[in-house]
Amino acid sequence: MRRLESGGISIVAIDGTCTGADFEDALEADIRIAAESATFSADGARDLAACALRLTRLLGEARAKEIVLGLRTFDAATALRLGIVTRVVPTTALAATGDALVERLAALPPLALPAIRDAVRSARDLTPDSALAVEHTHFRRLIATSDHRAAVEAFFERRPAVFTGE
Amino acid sequence: MGANAQTRWWTDARVGYIVIDNPPMNVLSDENRRGIRDALDEFRADDVGAVVLTGAGDRAFCAGADLGEEKHLTDDTVGKFLSRGEQTFRIIRDYERPVIGAINGWAMGGGLVLALWCDVRVGSTRAKLGAVGVKVGLMASNVQLSRLFPEGRARDMLLTGRTVEADEAYRLGLLSSVVAPERLLDEAAAWARGMADRPVEQVAAAKRAVNVALEPEGAR
Repeated sequence: MRRLESGGISIVAIDGTCTGADFEDALEADIRIAAESATFSADGARDLAACALRLTRLLGEARAKEIVLGLRTFDAATALRLGIVTRVVPTTALAATGDALVERLAALPPLALPAIRDAVRSARDLTPDSALAVEHTHFRRLIATSDHRAAVEAFFERRPAVFTGE
Repeated sequence: MGANAQTRWWTDARVGYIVIDNPPMNVLSDENRRGIRDALDEFRADDVGAVVLTGAGDRAFCAGADLGEEKHLTDDTVGKFLSRGEQTFRIIRDYERPVIGAINGWAMGGGLVLALWCDVRVGSTRAKLGAVGVKVGLMASNVQLSRLFPEGRARDMLLTGRTVEADEAYRLGLLSSVVAPERLLDEAAAWARGMADRPVEQVAAAKRAVNVALEPEGAR
């Protein structure tokens, strides 16, 4: 399992056996991608209850229970169907796909990324009204940044934007 | 039946149709927001059982806010901009009848938000969905995507701003069916008629129940 990071966003590129502590760590990442040959299991997790909580948020109750109570080993296609990973690629393409994702995130305005991640994390704990209020607070802050203005100008001039994190 | 400069609407067999007609990309204008509101009010009076919302042409369902207009927002006007958008979405969410989004092309940014507030979405093979806010350093559709999706998928779309095409959108559950472009309106109408034929109160209660199902205990 390869751990990547870009713009404060964590990514894991999963190859081979992803079980126990590796599986737990993978669940903590913001984005998970996998090779076709990867296999997954919650068996051997340090804290199965924490794993259960995380999986319930990631996948919903039915799927989480199947994984933490069944403790079966499942393949990459199943992981994609369940939503544990969001992309599965041929094993030989995994490294390049991971690198491309890092580049893609690095090219985005850096202030928006952690704000989006945190808003997604908190959305489930809030009523729709409070969640929208959180989103709007971020929106008001982000729209006033020079990075946002730079992105819009670049869009109209059909060129890549340069961001400063301000 | 009614229309304004950028919106058209009509009723057929207890199904209401609203078309966002602001070519080429159907950018969401105040006329559209007003049109959606007026159409839904008229449909309510006409005993419409379900609504189909779509975009004109085959390029876009709705491309969201006009970046040219949005560029001029100031600290004072951004609040009004956000509440105008929210008002429209809330009207769709709180409408007592189901709203079916017929996604005929691009649904991005605020257009994706509009699509996601619909109760069911069907798409043509040309449907393309993108949470593109992040590309211009903004955040939009967080709330809807976090609710419709398990968290992992919501993050993938929101953090990368990548385009999700019709097939993947169907697999993810963002679209309930995908058909050829020329069949899209018929497909959406079939979903709408199926809902319009059921007891009105039952359908309204089911929609309300889903709306509040994910709210924290005690807040319902």
